[in-house]
Amino acid sequence: MNTTEAMDPGLAGKVAVVTGGTRGIGRAIVERLAGAGMTVAFTYRGNAAAAAEVVAACPTGSVQGQAVDVCDAAACAAFVDAVVDRSGQIDLLVNNAGIIRDNTLAMLEDEDIRAVLDTNVGGAFNMARAVCPHMISARRGKIINISSVAGEKGGRGQTNYAASKGAINAFTRALAAEVAPRGITVNAVAPGVIETDMSREVREMAGEQARSRILLRRFGRPEDIAHAVWFLASKYADYITGQILHVDGGFKME
Amino acid sequence: MNNKNISITREEIQAVLPQVIDIIADAIACDADKVRPDASLIDDLGAESIDFVDIVFRLQRQFKVKIPRGQIIEDARGDLSEADFEKGGVVTDAGVARLREFMSEVPADRFKSPLKVSDIPRLFTVETFCKLIIRQQRAGSAGSAGPAA
Repeated sequence: MNTTEAMDPGLAGKVAVVTGGTRGIGRAIVERLAGAGMTVAFTYRGNAAAAAEVVAACPTGSVQGQAVDVCDAAACAAFVDAVVDRSGQIDLLVNNAGIIRDNTLAMLEDEDIRAVLDTNVGGAFNMARAVCPHMISARRGKIINISSVAGEKGGRGQTNYAASKGAINAFTRALAAEVAPRGITVNAVAPGVIETDMSREVREMAGEQARSRILLRRFGRPEDIAHAVWFLASKYADYITGQILHVDGGFKME
Repeated sequence: MNNKNISITREEIQAVLPQVIDIIADAIACDADKVRPDASLIDDLGAESIDFVDIVFRLQRQFKVKIPRGQIIEDARGDLSEADFEKGGVVTDAGVARLREFMSEVPADRFKSPLKVSDIPRLFTVETFCKLIIRQQRAGSAGSAGPAA
C-alpha cells in the first residue's frame, strides 16, 4: 500500500445527506465532507442566508441546501428522492438536526417535550426510513446519528433532550442489526460540550464547573465532531457498526 | 364477491414476468433461472424481510406504481371484514378460502392448516408479485391522479 492510497478515505464522488447543516456541528460536518470530495445535500429549518453562506464556503457545486422540516415524513421522503434523482445514489446519511429546550421536568411545557422528541428522534426516523430502501437496494451505505453525552449521562434540566439522545443510541444499535445483512453500517457520534450557539446557554450556566468535568479541560469544537463523522464515513470504518463513539474530551460523571 | 384479479390474463402476467424475475433475482442475489413463477419467495428462494423491502422498492420504481404495506393481504381479504378474515392471528376458514381463490397461482398443498396471518407471506410466489403489479397499474390508471412516480 502506498502513502496516497493509505490516506484516501474513499469519500470522493460519493453522496451525503446531512440534516441541520447551517450551524455549529452540522455546518462543520457539511464542510468536512465536501472537503473530502463528497457531494453534500443538507437540510435546514429556516435560515436561508446561513444556508447560502455554507454553500459559498464549500467547493463550488459540491453542496446544496434545502429547507426541510425533518419532523415531516413526507417532506423528508421527497427530499431524499430528489437527491437520488439528481445524484443517482445516497452513500451517507448524517442525522444531525436537533434542538434543545432545557428546563426542569416540572417546568417543561408539553410543547418543549414534543418538539425535542419529534425533531431529535422523529427526524432521524423520517430520514433513515426514506434513505434505507435506497441503501438496501444498493447493498451499501452508512448512517451516522449525532447523539450526545446526555444520552448516557444525565444532566439537570435535560430530561427531554437526554431521552431523545438515549433513544438515538438505541435506534442506532437496533437499525445496525436490521441493515447489517445488506452491508450498511449505522453508528452514532456522541459529542460532549461543544462550542456552538445551541450549547451556549449550557456552557454559560455550568461554566467552569462543566469544564472541570472534562479530562482534557476544554470544550469541544464543531470540527472535533466533524472529524469523527468523517472517520466513520470513511472506508477506514467499514468494519464498525452499532457503536456510539464518544467525542467529549473525556467527560466524567459527577 | 372478490373479483379484483379475476380478469388478469396470462398475457398480462407474461408481459411483466421477465422484469419481476430480474428484480427478485437481483434483490435476493440468486440465479434468475431459480426464480420460477411458482417459487415461494421465502421457502424456495430464501427471501428475508429486508429482501421484501428491496423487492417492493425496486418494483415501485421499475413499474412506477405505489405498493402500500400489506396490499396483497388487503386485496385478498376484499370485502371480508377483518374479524371474518382472521381471529387471534389465525386465518379463518372463510379467510383461507378467500386466499386460495385470490392467490390461485399458489399450489393448493402450500396452504397449511391452521394458517397464521404472519405465515401468509410464505405463500407469496413470483407470480403473486406479477399480479400485484398489474392490479396496482390498473388502480393507478383508473385513479384521477395516476400513480405516484
